[in-house]
Amino acid sequence: MINLVFNEITKLLGKRRLLVVTLIMAMLMAVFTYAQAKEIERTRERLGTEDWRTTLQQQIIDTQNRLGSTRISDEWRQTLQIRIAQQQYYLDNDINPAEPGAPTFLRGFIENSVQLLLPLMVMVIAADLVSSEKSLGTIKLLLTRPVKRWRILLSKYITLILAVSFIIFIFGLLGYLISGLVFGYKGWMAPVISGFVVQGGELDTASTFIIPQWQYLLMAFGLAWFVSIVVGTLSFLLSVLVRSTAAGMGIMLAALISGTILSNMVSSWEAAKYLFMVNLNITSYLTGQSPPIEGMTLGFSVTILTIWAAVALFLSFFVFTRQDVY
Amino acid sequence: MVKVRQVQAFALFAAVLSIFWFIGLLLTMQGYIGSTMPVMTPIAIDEHSKEEKSAIQKDTLAVLALGDSLTRGTGDSTGKGYVGHLIDDLRQGSDQNVSIHNLAINGQRSDQLAQQIQQADVQRTIQGADLIVLTIGGNDLFRRGETLLNFDMNAIDGYREAYIQNLNFILSEIRKHNNEATIFYLGLYNPFINLGDSETTSKVIREWNYESAEALALYDHTVFVPTFDLFQLNVNQYLYSDQFHPNSEGYRIMADRLTSLLTNAR
Repeated sequence: MINLVFNEITKLLGKRRLLVVTLIMAMLMAVFTYAQAKEIERTRERLGTEDWRTTLQQQIIDTQNRLGSTRISDEWRQTLQIRIAQQQYYLDNDINPAEPGAPTFLRGFIENSVQLLLPLMVMVIAADLVSSEKSLGTIKLLLTRPVKRWRILLSKYITLILAVSFIIFIFGLLGYLISGLVFGYKGWMAPVISGFVVQGGELDTASTFIIPQWQYLLMAFGLAWFVSIVVGTLSFLLSVLVRSTAAGMGIMLAALISGTILSNMVSSWEAAKYLFMVNLNITSYLTGQSPPIEGMTLGFSVTILTIWAAVALFLSFFVFTRQDVY
Repeated sequence: MVKVRQVQAFALFAAVLSIFWFIGLLLTMQGYIGSTMPVMTPIAIDEHSKEEKSAIQKDTLAVLALGDSLTRGTGDSTGKGYVGHLIDDLRQGSDQNVSIHNLAINGQRSDQLAQQIQQADVQRTIQGADLIVLTIGGNDLFRRGETLLNFDMNAIDGYREAYIQNLNFILSEIRKHNNEATIFYLGLYNPFINLGDSETTSKVIREWNYESAEALALYDHTVFVPTFDLFQLNVNQYLYSDQFHPNSEGYRIMADRLTSLLTNAR
């Protein structure tokens, strides 16, 4: 078995897809670091101070003024109210929600990429694990060996999990190194408040806890890893089902993008919460934003994603072991 | 060609990473679903450290703006409001660093401002301010237009009394935290001066301004800045399309007045 996995890894590394993914991420990190640095500089110029309390308080007031506008939707109003309550909570406890430094940048970046960027990167790897062998015809060579089909597929799946772990690591490493050039490398021990619960459109702070930032990052990366595995598994299923890599990627891409759009507009369509794409923004439970649909919790999203992944995995094996290969 | 060693190293490394991320995931699940995390107790803010912080920034001129939509700048297409224009002027006029803190909220009435300035962090900002600009009362009087629709002198007298009380509270509260900063209070103008019945509305506003100025006179370093005259003659030229808030030019002339006062004061 382990040799089969080695064989798959050899193929994966040979294809240089990981390298491409790494380069894409490195470029994006640089772009976002620059954008963030600009934003900080602009705020400093506008307010004329570097005191984070000033900035935070100003943000709260600005949001309050937006609330006053009659043209905003109820959902958006609720989101803003929750944000205000949270910022006020940070202010009342004298904790800076954005301690300057690379770890803070990383925290913001992982929260923003878990829904689309990371799944896309993982999809690039996963979508062609099986289908490329089919289109190239190498699958026949593989299947003529005296090895059971499910073992071959399993070795591919293990490789996928390893690759996902590696991508998440590279993501963290690059983010830390690149943003640290601008923001400095400190801030692992900065306190972060987590455990906000959003209930009935209100922010509940009864169960909050303070953790050091490294622990928060570990949790966020754990969740990002989980989401990536789920997306990887679904792409893997498509790779088994669809002969063409491009078609598999296209389907997955459509699903992922529809997820980001749906999250913004489905609050009235309750059944949508059982779709996997609506549950991908899973780190938002750590930060305590209002979920896209009332009643979604971390446990709920993890369960839904696990079910999707389990079904996809079962189907992949079921189909692959029975499929005609020609 | 990829070497066997590299493949093995990659596999081992990635396997370790998988376990690592899995631990992260477990930690999250434990924290959220098992809720074994210690529940946080709000930290008492250390007064000492706060005062230190406000002391550091003494080389900058800290401007604090409080009040309603006028201070916020509603109606100004450049988004600045008189506060923004004032800050621009101050920054141009000297090399000194100017910091601005605009805590005004659209539609705020005096009772709401009285509540706002009791927040711990607003009080902290008041402590650090060198200059406070303030507009309040417009919403107490006009009540989003209601006052004009059902014009009732007795009701207005009631509004004014309550407002003066709040204003007194606000000023004494500010003075409690900051004895030094000069407070500039901008009076009301009459946006309805071109409409019928302007004699009555102007009279009401003059009385309102008079009472406000009287209240301000009880406190040191307070300046009542009239705006009534600015909008008296060409009101339409200076009003935004809602016929209530100033437009960009209206804010400009308000800021000019403040700037000239400030240049004299410094």
